[in-house]
Amino acid sequence: MEKPLELSRYCVPFTPFSKPLEESLICLVTTAAVRAKNDTPFNVEGDNTFRRIDASLTSRDLAYDDAHYDHACVDRDLNCVFPIDRLSSLAREGRIAGMTPEHFSMGFSQALRELRETTVPQLARAVSGARPDAVLLTGG
Amino acid sequence: MQGIPTVLITVEPEESAQARPPRALCPRGFVAGHSLGRPNDEALQKWIAMDALALLREPARPGEVIRRDYT
Repeated sequence: MEKPLELSRYCVPFTPFSKPLEESLICLVTTAAVRAKNDTPFNVEGDNTFRRIDASLTSRDLAYDDAHYDHACVDRDLNCVFPIDRLSSLAREGRIAGMTPEHFSMGFSQALRELRETTVPQLARAVSGARPDAVLLTGG
Repeated sequence: MQGIPTVLITVEPEESAQARPPRALCPRGFVAGHSLGRPNDEALQKWIAMDALALLREPARPGEVIRRDYT
């Protein structure tokens, strides 16, 4: 049997979590190329930058720059890929403590080496600075 | 830098599994652009988000993508 392609030759990056969700701040991180409407657009052909998204914004304040996934859902409701309003609602209900002050989005990129060596370390530092208890990742 | 607990919602479980995620939920049948389901279906989207977050509290199955039905 053919060995499946392994994109990761490293250990599974597992960090334990034991806090109640009701006491936890959640940070959203996506690769769906989401940003504030007044922020610089992503280059849909390939972009190794990331955007910070203020958690006080709602989905109506956000836009996306994409040419790679189906837009039928996100054109009506960005929560389909970036559930910022839903996390806000879960926080009001007390099911999570709240959100970090910022969330983050990457864009479309196939430049894996640059992502791994430059973008992701920068993003990880930025996410760490937001002091999340946990991160919810979405791909779009 | 300290590790950060993460959980992924993926609609491409085979591809995601290659990256060996620590925790991952795949809403079966959903596709790229629709990871959390139907537009403006707040209950469904919150259900999927909470199921994903709940994986943080469940026994560790690192590298596995948990598939669930939401239809």
